[in-house]
Amino acid sequence: MSGVGARENVFATRMALTNTKLRLKGAQTGHSLLAKKRDALTTRFRTILRKVDEAKRKMGRVMQLASFSMAEVTYATGDIAYLVQEQAKQATFRVRAKQENVSGVVLPAFEVDRVAGSDFNLTGLGRGGQQVTRAKEVYAKAIETLVELASLQTAFTILDEVIRATNRRVNAIEHIVIPRLENTIKYIMSELDEMDREEFFRLKKVQGKKKRDTAARDAAQAAKSAAAPPPTADEDREAELATNLLSSKDADVIF
Amino acid sequence: MEALFFNTDTGYLEAIVRGYKAGILAQNQYANLTQCETLEDFRTQLSATDYSNFLANEPLPISTSTIADKATQILVDQFNYLRTNAVEPLSKFLDYITYAYMIDNVVLLITGTLHERDTHELLERCHPLGVFDTMPALCVATNVEELFQSVLVETPLAPYFRDCLSASDLDDLNIEIIRNTVYKAYLEDFYEFCTSLGSPTSDVMHRILSFEADRRTINITINSFNTELGKEQRAKLFPAIGRLFPEGNNQLAKADELDQVRQICENISEYRAFFSDTSSHGNGAAADGLGAPSQLEDHFFSTEVHLNKLAFLQQFQYGVFYSYMKLKEQEIRNLTWIAECIAQDAKDRIQDFIPIF
Amino acid sequence: MGYYTSYYSYGLPSFLVVVLALYLLFTGSGEAFNIGRFLEETSPYAFAATGIGLCIGLSVLGAGWGIMVTGSSILGGGVRAPRITTKNLISIIFCEVVAIYGVIIGIVYSSKLGAVPDRLLYTPQNYFTGFALFWGGITVGACNLLCGIAVGITGSTAALADAADPNLFVKILVVEVFGSIMGLFGLIVGLLMVGNAGDFTEYVPEVAGAAANAVVSPYVY
Repeated sequence: MSGVGARENVFATRMALTNTKLRLKGAQTGHSLLAKKRDALTTRFRTILRKVDEAKRKMGRVMQLASFSMAEVTYATGDIAYLVQEQAKQATFRVRAKQENVSGVVLPAFEVDRVAGSDFNLTGLGRGGQQVTRAKEVYAKAIETLVELASLQTAFTILDEVIRATNRRVNAIEHIVIPRLENTIKYIMSELDEMDREEFFRLKKVQGKKKRDTAARDAAQAAKSAAAPPPTADEDREAELATNLLSSKDADVIF
Repeated sequence: MEALFFNTDTGYLEAIVRGYKAGILAQNQYANLTQCETLEDFRTQLSATDYSNFLANEPLPISTSTIADKATQILVDQFNYLRTNAVEPLSKFLDYITYAYMIDNVVLLITGTLHERDTHELLERCHPLGVFDTMPALCVATNVEELFQSVLVETPLAPYFRDCLSASDLDDLNIEIIRNTVYKAYLEDFYEFCTSLGSPTSDVMHRILSFEADRRTINITINSFNTELGKEQRAKLFPAIGRLFPEGNNQLAKADELDQVRQICENISEYRAFFSDTSSHGNGAAADGLGAPSQLEDHFFSTEVHLNKLAFLQQFQYGVFYSYMKLKEQEIRNLTWIAECIAQDAKDRIQDFIPIF
Repeated sequence: MGYYTSYYSYGLPSFLVVVLALYLLFTGSGEAFNIGRFLEETSPYAFAATGIGLCIGLSVLGAGWGIMVTGSSILGGGVRAPRITTKNLISIIFCEVVAIYGVIIGIVYSSKLGAVPDRLLYTPQNYFTGFALFWGGITVGACNLLCGIAVGITGSTAALADAADPNLFVKILVVEVFGSIMGLFGLIVGLLMVGNAGDFTEYVPEVAGAAANAVVSPYVY
């Protein structure tokens, strides 16, 4: 009913009714579009979630392997950290960022770019060189996994945010905007109806008065013609009451 | 003859070293250590051995590097005790043992100077066995030229540097090449010194040093495949001693792939086994290309341990000192390995250490 | 042993001896090489006393050497395995016994010595006693020296073996015992050698009133 739930503060006019109806239509279209977007994003989100899970498990394994190969290097050659640190002249492992568009959401993706050849390939020449090479390989793989994970994780966070925003919008439209518009429409309709009925009643009254006046005039004419009696005050007050009732614009009038 | 006079100067120290050797962890102790679930257990197990309470004062999350450092510290203490009690020629012999570590330290300092770092920080990173009195003096040098001069003046390694390198080489050459060049000179000089000590020290030491030289030769060959290290230069890094010398060295200098190395090593019966089981599945493992050489490294380690153990079979010679140091080093590596395996929860690889006794 | 040391230690002395001998020979004093004369001229006391001295001296040298070799090993081994020190005292005792052999023989030999006037000394019996004491002393001394060294080296090995593995002690001790028995052999032979030698006695002329000097050799004046 027009009295229940929020509605917009509009004048109950036919113009407003048309506008509100149009807006309701728009809201419904928007709702279905957003819902579709949400579904698409959720699908994507699920895929990424699965991938993140996989990548995290993989990372666990790979990092363990990597740190283990480091242990092997320590076993074979001892501490080479400083030498390697000092001999690294340029990055052999680079990360490039690019963008991907999923349903209007821009997701960053990282790509690995490895430069062949390295600066410290002679480390452990005397002994343990194989372990050093191996550790290098394993660590490169580990970093690849990390980069993959990082790009997935970023996508995950961004998507999560976007999905939540979309969800909010969908819910807002579904539970706030549309009901409100509907309420407004109902309200306008009911107001218009009431105005109709008022008009009708007023016309009836006018007609009644006119009839009474006509009757009175007729009677007066008849009285004039006979004794000419004055009109009664009773009928006057009754007409006044009717107009008072109609003029009070109570929103809570129940039919 | 050596039995008549050896004990005059060295009998006490030899017996001490043999006593130390008795403290090296045995198989059953390793078995206990490998059963540990946490590093805490590990520490408890170790306290039952000769290491006793060396980790007692460490704050609780014990890192594997702390274990290695502490164990090395024990070894260094023992070594310093021996060294302060030694007289010529044993003291000289012990000096020679430290030269190997010294080379590493000096190379570290050179690296630091080359990249213009503060070399004083590096002093802490140096191996404690290779520390010598005048080492801080090397930190004064700000460029390579100065450093080279002070290495010549201040360190016992001067002959090796003087004969093999010039100041300009330090700038141009890869640091690993410098290290190996110097090490080659050191090995040859040590070999020569052992010869001058006469039998039986020379017998024992020649066996060990020859193997060490061969190991380096083979390793350098394998590690220099597919690198910028040319064959000409590679040949210069091979020590001119060892059982592969001279013919094997010449062939190795020309080798291009692992198979050739294997063929060359076939000529020496002891080295044949290194490649035999790698070749059995080597064809399958050739794809990853990493399995075979790292197994080779294990073979090298176990052979080294074996040779060093043999040194203890002979009394009245200096080889035991060298062997003890090497065995102890291996033991520290083993401990670190086991600790690392425990810390990383990699129980399947925990048996991959090389038991000594 | 280096190349040069062996040349110097063996070659040089023999070279000098040859040069000296040839010098004497070619300068007409080849007569100086007269071993018989040397033996006869030298007083039996000199031989006897040298023998006794060498006997005890070499024995103590052997014992001391052995104890040095063993002792340093026991001390070193005892640092890590204190239990070996008491047990391995037996090696030290074995070495010490060698010196005691020398002392015993020295005492036995010394009892042969007695004061004899010079002119009554040079009798065949006295010569025999002198030589017997000399060579007996050498025998015992050399035996004990080598025995002491042998026991010392074995003892050092025994100490180290015991430190490494307690089960080995008895086994190596057997070897050591056999080594120490050799000193006993020297002792026995040394005793036997002087068994027939009497004390130094004065010359008793067979014909009373004859020249009282005991001269057996024309070289003794």
